[in-house]
Amino acid sequence: MALYKVKTFIGIFTIDDNKKVISFSPFPKDPILVASRLKDEVDEAPEEIENFLKENLLRYALEYKFVKNQAEFNQFLTEVNSEIAKQKIKEIVSRDVLIIHTNNAIEELDKSINIFIERLREWYSLHFPEMDKVIEDHKTFAKLIEKFGNRKDIDDKRLNQFKEKSMGIDFTQEDIETVKALATTIIKLYELRERFSNYLSKLLKEIAPNFSVIAGDVVAAKLIAKAGGLERLARMPSSTIQLLGAEKALFRFLKSKEKFKSPKFGLIYNHPLIKSAPKDKQGKIARLLSSKLSIAARIDYYSKEYKADKMKKELEERVKEVLVAKK
Amino acid sequence: MVKIEKTKFYGIFKVDGNLATVNLVPGEKVYGEELIKEKNVEYRYWDYWRSKPAAAIKNGLKILPLEKGMNILYLGIANGTTASHFSDIIGKEGLIYGVEISERPFRELLPLVEKRGNIVPILSNARKPEDYEDQILGKVDLVYEDVATEDQVEILIRNCEKFLKSEGFAIIAIKSQSIDVTRPPKEVYDECLQKLEKHFEILDKVKLDPYEKFHLFVVMKSKK
Repeated sequence: MALYKVKTFIGIFTIDDNKKVISFSPFPKDPILVASRLKDEVDEAPEEIENFLKENLLRYALEYKFVKNQAEFNQFLTEVNSEIAKQKIKEIVSRDVLIIHTNNAIEELDKSINIFIERLREWYSLHFPEMDKVIEDHKTFAKLIEKFGNRKDIDDKRLNQFKEKSMGIDFTQEDIETVKALATTIIKLYELRERFSNYLSKLLKEIAPNFSVIAGDVVAAKLIAKAGGLERLARMPSSTIQLLGAEKALFRFLKSKEKFKSPKFGLIYNHPLIKSAPKDKQGKIARLLSSKLSIAARIDYYSKEYKADKMKKELEERVKEVLVAKK
Repeated sequence: MVKIEKTKFYGIFKVDGNLATVNLVPGEKVYGEELIKEKNVEYRYWDYWRSKPAAAIKNGLKILPLEKGMNILYLGIANGTTASHFSDIIGKEGLIYGVEISERPFRELLPLVEKRGNIVPILSNARKPEDYEDQILGKVDLVYEDVATEDQVEILIRNCEKFLKSEGFAIIAIKSQSIDVTRPPKEVYDECLQKLEKHFEILDKVKLDPYEKFHLFVVMKSKK
């Protein structure tokens, strides 16, 4: 007669061929301990016996007084599985999620900075309207306000000529301090953006070295974020990568084929190779680029071997050929 | 004075005209729903904008096979909004095995299951029942599926073959937009129903508009 040891979440059963339980050694009633014990391998018992035990586990748990009633049995089962899930979460959450958060935070910062800078320009223009046209760069605009505050104190060779005859109203000290506080915040946001973007470059180098070299940091991060991670990107066909970010146009085309043209590129349009190419060649270059990108994503996800320089050279040569070729 | 009416479904009430279940863990809200206490019983409103079975009842569903003490396999449990109401209905003697592929909603689900004690969380891909068969004790009375994927019908059938009792029930929320956006929903539904009819007897079906667009809620019984 053969004896089998079968592990369940309440403990280990020794059971024979005739489904007779010979002995039972219960687990301690601690979900964390049980979850880790369940991970150890044991010899497989025949499926029939395992299923028999599973189906009758409640009965045995009551018989051996492991639990008082079914509700307690269910509660313990729930807690053990909750613990298993927690440990599994730790294993499957990978670092590429950091890329997604950083990328999205940068996009949100850009939006916020734009909104605030628009407000700052309108606001400060009450006091010094001439400055709005002269200082086009947003960061410089905010910095000048932070540094000097009142227009009379501004010392900048582009602005000095307007100071005296400005048509702006006078601001009190409090007015100035308030608008300055906004300018300071905007500069802080710029600094934060800079910090995030440096961090993003580092992350990309670590997690997607090949992909980020071929795509460029900005496009690489956006593509990974849109795909929902490096693994998903690695599993995508290159045609999907080509159109990531152009879903609206793609589905519009798929729904009514006659009226619309299919989109040729999505987020990868921001890649310099496509952006700088003549219009009639962009579609072809988008195909070349996305196929190289999909290879790079796969190398990054599965092997991490660095081949990007060679791949980038190949790609650039192919693009050159396309650019000189007549239609 | 709160007006409480029974509905034809076990454990589901109408409280001042809103669908509600009796809170298994009094005082605890799951997703910001309203709690109403009347004669020492606490009811939880069941929001039909957020939960598909509630929307189906609102739209005239006739059969919903949920009872006290049932064992349910729930594919695509997400953060447990709908499952919390199932958990109210089946009570402490029942069990829900909740399968979900994404770890994000588990952050909200795990605290919930520990309080309720009748939801078993399983972080796995519903396409691979072999991966979680060890965690499911015996066969279940009902398989409920709400996963928005192209192969959602096949996933349901595969899980029912493995885990559903003979003459057990199955419920699916078919999302036509996930199966094929380019074809009209009616066509997609018909094709899915044809596939389902090979394995199940269809007891009831109802569209979920306007609460969920492009969804068909189907209640079935296994032919085996």
